[in-house]
Amino acid sequence: MKEVPVKIQHNNNWIVVKMGIGDDRIILPDPFNKEIPFRTVDDIAEKKNVLIITVKTDTETVYKILSVEKVLQVLKKLILGSCNAYRLMAYFMSPAIRGGVMIKDAQWDKGSVVVVSTGIWFISATKQVCVPVNDVAAIEIIKRDVQGKSTDVIKIDHLDSGEVSSSLVLCPLSTLQVLYNYLKETTKSMDMKGTELDSIEQQVAMLVYSGMDSHAIENMLNIPHKQLDGIYDKILNLGLGEVVTIRREIQLTTKGVRYISDATKSQTN
Amino acid sequence: MGKILIVDDTLFMRTLLKNILFSGGHTIAGEAGDGDDGVAKYKELKPDLVTMDIVMPKLNGIEALKAIKEFDPAAKIVMCTAVGQEQMVKLAIKSGAKGYIIKPFQAPKVLEEVKNVLAS
Repeated sequence: MKEVPVKIQHNNNWIVVKMGIGDDRIILPDPFNKEIPFRTVDDIAEKKNVLIITVKTDTETVYKILSVEKVLQVLKKLILGSCNAYRLMAYFMSPAIRGGVMIKDAQWDKGSVVVVSTGIWFISATKQVCVPVNDVAAIEIIKRDVQGKSTDVIKIDHLDSGEVSSSLVLCPLSTLQVLYNYLKETTKSMDMKGTELDSIEQQVAMLVYSGMDSHAIENMLNIPHKQLDGIYDKILNLGLGEVVTIRREIQLTTKGVRYISDATKSQTN
Repeated sequence: MGKILIVDDTLFMRTLLKNILFSGGHTIAGEAGDGDDGVAKYKELKPDLVTMDIVMPKLNGIEALKAIKEFDPAAKIVMCTAVGQEQMVKLAIKSGAKGYIIKPFQAPKVLEEVKNVLAS
């Protein structure tokens, strides 16, 4: 058992502890006094250099562990190898396509695909890539040329720094469909029928994506502010957007009008 | 800043591109609703750059690109493509396109690509 210093969140504070790392468990000393077998880990996610692990025994406990990349890499490898997840050996290419174009020199990595509730992990000897479930835009089985043969692969489209990227998974045909079904089920919460927005609402969503503000959208689509507000409400209620700025429109009071009139006078005199 | 010709069969996409390009200080040389019209407008307007949709009626984007390149080998053409059309992008680049932008458009990315191609 090795011991490494890490920071763990405790009562909203980060405290430094010496965490024990074994082959099948981690040991958290005082004030946690917990042994966490990897098989009890139900979910693992990563945000910058913080590893978030959810342990499910009789109750569910979330641990946030902050450490250097090297330590987190070891932890991820051990946990993902034994945690409670759907896991299979496969070849993967992640990312394979960025912005609709094949990445130069993208290669197949031999490793495993581990699916937990918040993400799809691609693990190989040199790579640990996580695609958060919330970032998955589409999953489909496509034909791909692999060593000169047209082969079925799973394509996972996901958002990566605001851009659509695609990762590919290659495994024996018998398990491909099972993995596909499992991935579809895991990302079901992100599915939409496609009929939730009418054409004008879709156009508004697209303009928002393109970076247009309310004023530009009203002008481009020639719609009044009230209608746009209603469309925004619908987009927000469907969980497709979030409010970033509330802009106000004002009119001047008598005092304001007087101020402006005086200012204009002094400029023209 | 450049004088740009927008070739796209949907009015919505043309308007969106126009707004994005305006916001970046470019001027719009003209618009065309299909590849055929795009080639004709290129010959007439001689723009600094063309944004060319791929899937269009009459002449598609790749055919229009080839026709423009035949007329003016130095033409700067940026293809507009949807996610999943990577084979089309490859073909377009092979046929002489200088760059590509992905639908749905994101203003900063469009302006960056246009700037790069204009500077090339």
